[in-house]
Amino acid sequence: MDALVAQLQMQYRNYTASLYQQGFLDDQFTELKKLQDDASPDFVAEVLSLFFEDCVKLIGNMARALDQTGTVDFSQVGASVHQLKGSSSSVGAKRVKGLCVTFKEYCEANNYEGCVRCLQQIDIEYKALKTKLQDMFNLEKQIVQAGGKVPQVDN
Amino acid sequence: MTMEQDIEAMDQFPLGMRVLAVDDDQTCLRILETLLHRCQYHVTTTDKAQTALELLRENKNKFDLVISDVDMPDMDGFKLVELVGLEMDLPVIMLSAHSDPKNVMKGVKHGACDYLVKPVRIEELKNIWQHVVRKSKFKKMIKSIVTTNCVSEGNSDQNGVRANRKRKDQLEEEDEEQEEQERGNEKKPRVIWTRELHNKFLAAVDHVGVKNAVPKKILELMNVDNLTRENVGSHLQKFRLALKKINNEANQQANLDSQFTQMSSLKGLGSFHHYRPIPLGSSQFHGGAATMRHYPSNRTLAGMFSSSLPRNHNDGGYMLQGMPLPPLETLHIANNNNNNKAFPSFTSQQSSPLVSPNNHFVPEGHQGFSPHLEINKRLEDWSNAVLSNNIPQSNLHSKPDALEWNLFGNSTSPNLDTTNQTSFCRDTDFGSPNAAQADSFDPLQMKQQHENILSPMTVAQLLRSSSGNEGLFMGQQKLENGFMASDTGSLDDIVNSMMTQEQSQAEFSEGDWVWVA
Repeated sequence: MDALVAQLQMQYRNYTASLYQQGFLDDQFTELKKLQDDASPDFVAEVLSLFFEDCVKLIGNMARALDQTGTVDFSQVGASVHQLKGSSSSVGAKRVKGLCVTFKEYCEANNYEGCVRCLQQIDIEYKALKTKLQDMFNLEKQIVQAGGKVPQVDN
Repeated sequence: MTMEQDIEAMDQFPLGMRVLAVDDDQTCLRILETLLHRCQYHVTTTDKAQTALELLRENKNKFDLVISDVDMPDMDGFKLVELVGLEMDLPVIMLSAHSDPKNVMKGVKHGACDYLVKPVRIEELKNIWQHVVRKSKFKKMIKSIVTTNCVSEGNSDQNGVRANRKRKDQLEEEDEEQEEQERGNEKKPRVIWTRELHNKFLAAVDHVGVKNAVPKKILELMNVDNLTRENVGSHLQKFRLALKKINNEANQQANLDSQFTQMSSLKGLGSFHHYRPIPLGSSQFHGGAATMRHYPSNRTLAGMFSSSLPRNHNDGGYMLQGMPLPPLETLHIANNNNNNKAFPSFTSQQSSPLVSPNNHFVPEGHQGFSPHLEINKRLEDWSNAVLSNNIPQSNLHSKPDALEWNLFGNSTSPNLDTTNQTSFCRDTDFGSPNAAQADSFDPLQMKQQHENILSPMTVAQLLRSSSGNEGLFMGQQKLENGFMASDTGSLDDIVNSMMTQEQSQAEFSEGDWVWVA
């Protein structure tokens, strides 16, 4: 059992570290993890779920705004991007946030193609992050189920 | 929260600080909530600005601090900041994903205490309580100023006091907790000697006689709640001091007597410019006038003197202690002021003040005048200061307890008050003509004085004739249109008219004032 736990823990550590290294996550994520405690053991998972919900909603808004036949309301797109930027930075979704910054610039420049491109990338990105984090949470569960503690990984 | 809860909360401050968090982004809101909980604050969240406002309006005391996102769909975050600051006077911290300094500036301009950029870190939130303390300290400061100036333990039926009290109450509401803690260290609120209160005081003194006036008796006679023997004692002391001063001054006016006589020939001049209401030409007069003026009092002042002075000089005798007063006719009461407009300038004639048949003070227009003037002026200043309402600020004499005295006055213009205070404060100069010279002569002031001059009347007379809050001056309209208007010849009338004039001070314009040279 201990060996299993140890193994899982190592796996977990490596995996999480890689997420940081690859730029999926940043310090803010670490901060979020710090807020998780016995009183709110699933805090991070909850927040991230909220985040992904927001992603879906906002990306939908952006798509709708960009999909207008005729004039595109870039300010509307920009508003959604701004919000996504805020939430992604709060959860530590580094890549998504980076894309938001670029996206915003395109909006301000009224660059339709640039916006559309950004939108597509954001869509891909948040989904990728979601998958990765789900894997990570699964590892955590396994560790706990194996009787071990989830190691602290602060990359 | 109940008072007890409030106190408890304050004891542990900043723990338990009540924060209202507003953000339309649910992710951010959730994180913010957790962060705030981690800081051990009490958190309420909403994702709508409108809801936030409603929550705040529902009970201003429910929250200590508001944190709000800037970009919200239902209301501009800046607007919310502004509203919260104005309506509830709570500290507001702005939150935004924008780190643009322009936005930060905008936030500050709208009244935000702080501006945080997302993602917010817990360290930043750990210090936000300082804004609450800062704001409440400021409020406390205001409150203590208000309290010191306006606490009215006796009568508080005057607008100024009411307003102050209201403000004080509001402040109190919010600082209750802190105040509780510090109450032990604060001074007791001062008793404000409003006109009414002073009237009672004077009546009591009159009743027992100035010589026999002891705080205990006076207190009993006054029968006012929350008034201590100490309050009465100190007030009495001041009163006596003022009396003394006036007497001293009056004694120095002897040389003006001759001039005064001349004045009397001016009767009927009617062009009194409210100049110094103090009757000239008679030292006593000055003294008396001064006395009158100085004593904030409403008619009772006269009474005060009356006990030791000859009373009732219907002919204009002032009630100065032991001072013979010139016949009233010779005195022009400077009350003319309110009618200043109606008065032709003095200068023409002897440049002396109008001599009105009754109790009018005759401002002297002669050379000899200036000393009188000075004194009168001082007296007026003093009485003005004293009589002016409980305007907390400017009425203060430089003397520590001046505030109380100031409450008596009629509403002299603030101008006057301030000037008065300055000049008045030079008590030492009071009796000396020369000293007065140094004062800058302020026509407006004169006018004011004019109004405030208390004609020589006994307390009894004053009491009879005066009405409620007028103190010295009755609301008679008689003199309104002319200094000479008074045809009653009674002191009462004069006093009344003076009071009226006081009221119509506002009508005064400096231009109407003419120096009688």
